This record gives sequence, structure tokens and C-alpha cells, in this order.
Amino acid sequence: MAKSEKKFEDELKDLEAVVARIDSGELSLEESIDAFERGIGLVRALNHKLDEIEKKVEVLVRNAQGELRTTPYQNTAEDKDDDEF
Amino acid sequence: MAGQLELSLGGSRVKALGVTQFVRMVREALELHLDEYWVVGEVSNARLAPSEHLYFTLKDKRSSIGVVMFRSACQKLRFKITDGMEVIVRGRASLYEARGALQFYAEEIQPRGVGALQLAFEQLKERLNAEGLFDGARKRPLPFLPHAVGIVTALGGAALRDMMTVIFDRFPNVHLIIRPARVQGIGAGADVAEAIEDLNREGRAQVIIVGRGGGSLEDLWAFNEEVVARAIFRSAIPVVSAVGHEIDYTIADFVADARAPTPTAAAHLVVPRKADLKRRLDETSATMGGAMNSALLAHRRNLAQLAARVREPRGVVRQIRQRLDEAIAALTEAIAGSLRARRDQVLQLAGRLRPPRAEVRRRELELLEERLVLAGARAVEANRQRLAALAAQLDSLSPLRVLERGYAVVTDTRSGRAVVDAAAVEVGDELEIRLNRGRLRARTTAREI
Repeated sequence: MAKSEKKFEDELKDLEAVVARIDSGELSLEESIDAFERGIGLVRALNHKLDEIEKKVEVLVRNAQGELRTTPYQNTAEDKDDDEF
Repeated sequence: MAGQLELSLGGSRVKALGVTQFVRMVREALELHLDEYWVVGEVSNARLAPSEHLYFTLKDKRSSIGVVMFRSACQKLRFKITDGMEVIVRGRASLYEARGALQFYAEEIQPRGVGALQLAFEQLKERLNAEGLFDGARKRPLPFLPHAVGIVTALGGAALRDMMTVIFDRFPNVHLIIRPARVQGIGAGADVAEAIEDLNREGRAQVIIVGRGGGSLEDLWAFNEEVVARAIFRSAIPVVSAVGHEIDYTIADFVADARAPTPTAAAHLVVPRKADLKRRLDETSATMGGAMNSALLAHRRNLAQLAARVREPRGVVRQIRQRLDEAIAALTEAIAGSLRARRDQVLQLAGRLRPPRAEVRRRELELLEERLVLAGARAVEANRQRLAALAAQLDSLSPLRVLERGYAVVTDTRSGRAVVDAAAVEVGDELEIRLNRGRLRARTTAREI
């Protein structure tokens, strides 16, 4: 959720660029290894990004004063079949 | 004054009436004898007075009549009355006493040919389009991986249930913020608009789905209301419209950043499949591993070639010496051939030639050979030193260093080639794994591609 972090799709592009560089065969051995380590780091970060999101279902309501607050979703409403739209 | 005038009319004496009196009498006669009617005609001179009463002339080929619709009745009008429009008006005739003018007092107006809702839809669409609310350039891309998804729909509706099922199936750990809204009936449009504003105020949602299941044009009307269109337009968060009606578009569809034909389709559009992203990451990692292995092998080959030359300077010397030997042999042969030819010639002529010159030549040749060998050895020595320096430099970049970090080079025992793709190996194939220290022979027990 940290907004300063790079976006998932941008980091995924970075990773693909790293792979392309290693694959080009134009890097020195040391550069290849640096790129490889950077790539491994990106894979870890990307996997983390997919898993770090917290599952939550909230209902946003507005009270009489117009203030917003969220309450956890109760899925009892799901069993009602008479309200089909 | 007028009341005092007595005049003859049709054989009897009558009193003259005042204008007001007369007009009122006519009005009362009209109202008494004429009930409510539906009248069809074409609109002209339509204008809305500051009082918000609507005035226009209703006419056909031969006649025309002034129509007035009071503010209270106008508020129920869903479409705008414009000149040239064919309409059916319900109301009653009366007299506007101030001018003694016949007028039709309208209570309800229907467009002719199309439904009132359809017409209202077309009119609003045209107006908002002209204002730029549907502008493609304004439409924002949806977030690739939304952490929090805002949903505006009825809390107990099938649409919400369907969306939640699809969303959690695609991405089990996502955050949903539901802002319940009435999606049908009076006030539904205003509620939906307010819900979009609330999610913007709350601020955590990165994309908003606004929708409901399918229904008739009446049922879906909230999504054709201007207030909803404006709320979507103002939303700082991208909005996906998801009104289940497949064929027709709503005004909300035109304004939204993306349009889905059903709530379920919106869920697909907004939330990526986590399993797909994981697989893409795994595949990219594997490709990277393969590319790194290839790079390592290429560097290793280069080094091996250099090392071989450095470790075996004798081999190089031997090669040079061999080439030298061959050259000398060829030279000797050439000289000997020439000598033989001359000797034969001389013998033929005098028969008394001795071979001292051949001895001299042979001696010269031996000296030459020594010098060549010395020169060759010096050249080899210079090369050896250069290669040794190069090798020392390369040593710091040695693949062994990489192996020290725990990486390994895997080769196929049969082909001797490096394995970069699991597809190139069959279960049961023998592989050689080269580690920092030593090698392992391994048999493939399973394969995952």
C-alpha cells in the first residue's frame, strides 16, 4: 500500500528489461551477475507485492452528520434472494 | 355604465356586458363543456419563462393553439420540448382572460413516435457529448493491480454477490470497499452519484465499479441521469460502469473510464488473475536463470580457451617449430632440387664437379634454422607473458567465483551441452552439475515446464 513504492507493472517491466540485458550476451561477467542479482531482487519484490495485499471487505456508510465511516461487511445479505438486481 | 345600456338583440332587449364579464362567461362555458383531451401537433415557438412555466404553440397544417404548461407539471417532464417536435399533449382548453385568448393548459406531454425516456436519453447524450463528458482523451487507464476496489451497488443485490465471487476467485487477497446505493426508483440517481463522491472523499479505492444487474429501461434509469454522469465525470478515481444490459448503453457507460456489459465482466476487467501474474513471474525468473547460465558458459569458454593457451606454451612452440620444420624441409628440397639439376648439368658438361657449394649451403641453412627457432621462441615468450597478464585479469572474473556463490552449471551428460530449458531434458535423463568444488551426476526425477 506504500505509495512511494514503484508500481507492480513498472517493476515487472524492469525485470523483463534485466532479463533481456542478460540474454543479450553483451554484458561482462560481473555485469551479468549484478543484473542477475537485481533480477532476483525484483522477483522477490514482485511476489511480495502480490501477497502483501490484505483481504478485507468493508461497507462505507455516511452518518447523519455527513461523516464517512467503514464497517466490516456482513454477508448475511447474500442469502436474500428476493432482492434481485 | 355598461350595465345601464339596454339594446335590442333578436327581438328582445338585452344589457350590454363588460369585457371581463363576457370573457369570464366564455371561459366558464368552455370549461363546462370541454373535458380533458389528448391533442397531437407540432411544437413551435417553445420558450421557458423566468417563472419556469413552459409556453409553446401547438399546430398542424391548418390550425394552431397556444399551450402553457405550468412549472409543477414541467417538473415531471424528462425530456426537453423543442421546436419542430411532434408531441401529444394532455390537458384542457381554457381562456386566458387578460387577452381573451384561447389556450391549452397542458398537464402531460409525450413525444410522438419514441418513448419519453428514449427521447430524454438521446437529448442528454447529445448535450453531455457536446460538453465533452464522453471525450476519449479524458478516459483514464485502470490500475494494473488495484489494492482496493470501490463498489457502488445495492447491498443485497445479485450484482454484488456475482462481483465478489469473481473478484475473490481471481485475486483472493483484495480489499473491497462497498458503498451501498439504491440503484432503482426515485432518488436512485442521486444516491449513486453521492456514493461515487463518498468513495472519492474516502480516498482509498483505486478504481470504482458502479453497477447493477439487468432490467428494463425504466429500471436502469438511474444510470441515465445527469447527476450520475456528472459524478462519474468529476471522480478522481477511474470508474467502470457495469449495468447488466448487454445491448444498450447507458449515459453512465459513455462517461465512465471503462464500460463492462455486466457486473461480472467488470470484476474481470478490474481485478487481474493472481495465478497468471505468479506464473508470469515464475516464467520470467526461469528465463533469467537460463540466460544467466548461458552467459556463464560463454564466459567460461572464453576463459578456458585463453587458459589452455597459457598453460601450454610448449604446444604453441611445438606448432611454430613444426611449421618451421616444414618450411625448412621445403627450402632444402628446393635447393637440393636446384643443386641436383645443376650438378647433372655440370656432370654432363665436365663430369668433374665436387659438392663444396652444397656443403656451404647446408651450413648456411643450419644457421638460418637456429635463428628462426630463436626468434620463434622469443615471440612465444612475449605472447606467453601477455596471455598470463590477461589470465590474471580474467581470474578476478572467473566463473569459479560465481560458482562460489552457490550457482551451478548443469549440463546434459549425453550432449555435453548446458541445460537452459527444462523442456530439453526428459525425466530419467542424466545431468552433470558442476559446483564450486567438484561435480555431481544426477538423474532427472521430475520435470516442470
